[in-house]
Amino acid sequence: MKKTLIVLKNELLTTIKRKSFILTLLLLPLIGLIFTIVVGNRDQTSGITSLISKLTTTEEENLLIGLMDETKNITEIPDKHKDQIKLYTTQKSAKFDLDSGIIKAFYFIPEDYVQKGKIVVYRPDFNPLSAGNDNYLIETLINSALLSENPEIMNLVNTVPEFKTELLTPEPQRDPEHQLTFFLPYIVTLLFYIVILGSSSMMLNSITNEKSNRVIEILLTSITPMQLLSGKIVALGLVGLLQTIVWSGTGLFILRLSGRSFALPIEFQLPTSILVWGIIFFILGFILYASLMAGVGALVSNIKEASQATTILVIPMVIPLVLLAPVIENSNGTLAVILSLFPFTSPVSMMTRLSAGSVPIWQIMLAIILLLFSAYWIVRSVSGFFRAQYLLSGKEFKIKYFIDAMLGRI
Amino acid sequence: MNTIEVNNISKTFGSQIALDQVSFEVKPGEIFGLLGPNGAGKTTCIRIVLDIFKPDNGSVKIFGNGMSEGKKDQIGYLPEERGLYQDINLEECLNYLALLKGLSSSESHKRINEYLVRFNLDEHKKKKVKELSKGMQQKAQLITTLVHDPKLVIIDEPFSALDPVNTQMVKDILREQRDLGKTIVMCTHQMHQVEELCDRLVLINQGKSVLYGALIEVQKTYAGHAIHIRTEDQIPNYLPGMKEIKRLENHHLYQVDLDPEVFPQEFLKSLVAANINIDQFEIASPTLDEIFIQVVTESGMKYE
Repeated sequence: MKKTLIVLKNELLTTIKRKSFILTLLLLPLIGLIFTIVVGNRDQTSGITSLISKLTTTEEENLLIGLMDETKNITEIPDKHKDQIKLYTTQKSAKFDLDSGIIKAFYFIPEDYVQKGKIVVYRPDFNPLSAGNDNYLIETLINSALLSENPEIMNLVNTVPEFKTELLTPEPQRDPEHQLTFFLPYIVTLLFYIVILGSSSMMLNSITNEKSNRVIEILLTSITPMQLLSGKIVALGLVGLLQTIVWSGTGLFILRLSGRSFALPIEFQLPTSILVWGIIFFILGFILYASLMAGVGALVSNIKEASQATTILVIPMVIPLVLLAPVIENSNGTLAVILSLFPFTSPVSMMTRLSAGSVPIWQIMLAIILLLFSAYWIVRSVSGFFRAQYLLSGKEFKIKYFIDAMLGRI
Repeated sequence: MNTIEVNNISKTFGSQIALDQVSFEVKPGEIFGLLGPNGAGKTTCIRIVLDIFKPDNGSVKIFGNGMSEGKKDQIGYLPEERGLYQDINLEECLNYLALLKGLSSSESHKRINEYLVRFNLDEHKKKKVKELSKGMQQKAQLITTLVHDPKLVIIDEPFSALDPVNTQMVKDILREQRDLGKTIVMCTHQMHQVEELCDRLVLINQGKSVLYGALIEVQKTYAGHAIHIRTEDQIPNYLPGMKEIKRLENHHLYQVDLDPEVFPQEFLKSLVAANINIDQFEIASPTLDEIFIQVVTESGMKYE
């Protein structure tokens, strides 16, 4: 036990003292912070933020849109759109300006527009995002022109209806219309993915490092493989928790900051239960993946082989990321339920679901039980072959070899 | 009580037989040679003794019985594949390995600093291990082997990749450890290096023990009835008791095979009587290399 603690302490200290670790620990929240400040202050024109926002906007966005209306409905551009749209009387002059890069697009409304509803757009190249914005602008302009005699109808057409949702779930919920309600599941999922993958990869690195440095043989004359494995798992789990705390702490701070710049309520927060579930799913997910990585570490002979082997282990972790959008969109759908129950995807997917909406308690419990059993099985299999014979052998790593080892066939 | 007792251990890896019924004993306070060519099974044997590997058959006793956590702390091991953490500084690396050997934090600091001074590594202790030269790393490795004052020191290939200065240093340290009453097991294929150090030895080839006993006895057993003479005078073709004479080098060194019934002292008298000035006269004892080749050839085994 005493030696397990020595391993634990050493692993913990060497990991958190590493420059790359400190950098990742601080850099990620810093990027978040800069992003929030920039996005939150894009319209303001002061100091560094305006400089950064200038860097994030393309030059094209500042160009005008050309417009020519043969139906003669639009005779002049309203003042509020004058810095966005320029009216032309001939196609020739408009096309000349487009070629010379004075305008970014040219919208031509033919005479038969009222009958056919077709508008021709000339663009040097296609950018779906900015094109969408431009189309919307022209649409608004045409609507206002067509309905200029019915200002009330025009008002209704141009106003997006306001939806107010009344929720029937008992737990205090975030405002469903909130901008952050949309982003939160993404943020939580990514955080979970990075923390679990990051800390379990550290496990693999640590073991492969000891193998390639050839310290492992000296270690094995002082401690048993199990002491080594358990000391490392606990230490790197704590490192993962530290990361989670630092990141979610700065995350909350950023939320408050963005609350100010987005004019959001300051009391905005996640339901407290998600934190408890988060810790449980992190611990179980970490044990599962860290022991898998330790198993790979025991069998690979060098870092290069290790990274090849990790790719395969990472696939089940990437699936919840790839399928993130459909899971968030329908957080109680079949796909979401399957992913959040399957032990290899559940730590990440369940957190996505929990941050996207409410999840029936039996599903959470079932996911935990399944995860618990799988983690137990994996720890048991890995400790079965986390022995000197494999730690000291230089045999080439093959997936079949790993699977055989997991199934106790070597 | 013997320090190590190895009884009929065997070990196979897949279809390869690494060790086949090997037995030997190591007595307290001696320097024991575990010898054999590359791939003979020496390292496997050591790993079984250290309880890193389990034997398929046979048993090992350390200090009287099986291996335990406490006993691991009384053993210092220098593996053939030397290893230290490369990315941390020397002092931290040595401290961690010393703590794992059961030393308290303060004791480990104290002893490591003493060793660092002694091995001229003191000024490098804050450097990362990978920044140290190979020789320095070798010395650092020796510190991890000896720092916890082990009763039993096991060294695998002690002289590999060492320059003559460091080789001498290791030999001196081994002698010093023996004088302190430590038991030392040296495991090597460089047999000529251990001849001057070993008290007893076991010779392994292809996983089998082919020779075992005290070095002097082994040399006596395999010694031919011959002497070496160095002289600037011409030795006559016939002297009483001389069966055959051959010149060994171009330095007036001769090997003389004697008749079986003639003792070397009698032959020395004949040389003096023949008025030959003798610079050197010694019983020709075979080197371990020669003995090894003889044993292996006689037993019909192959060796690399």
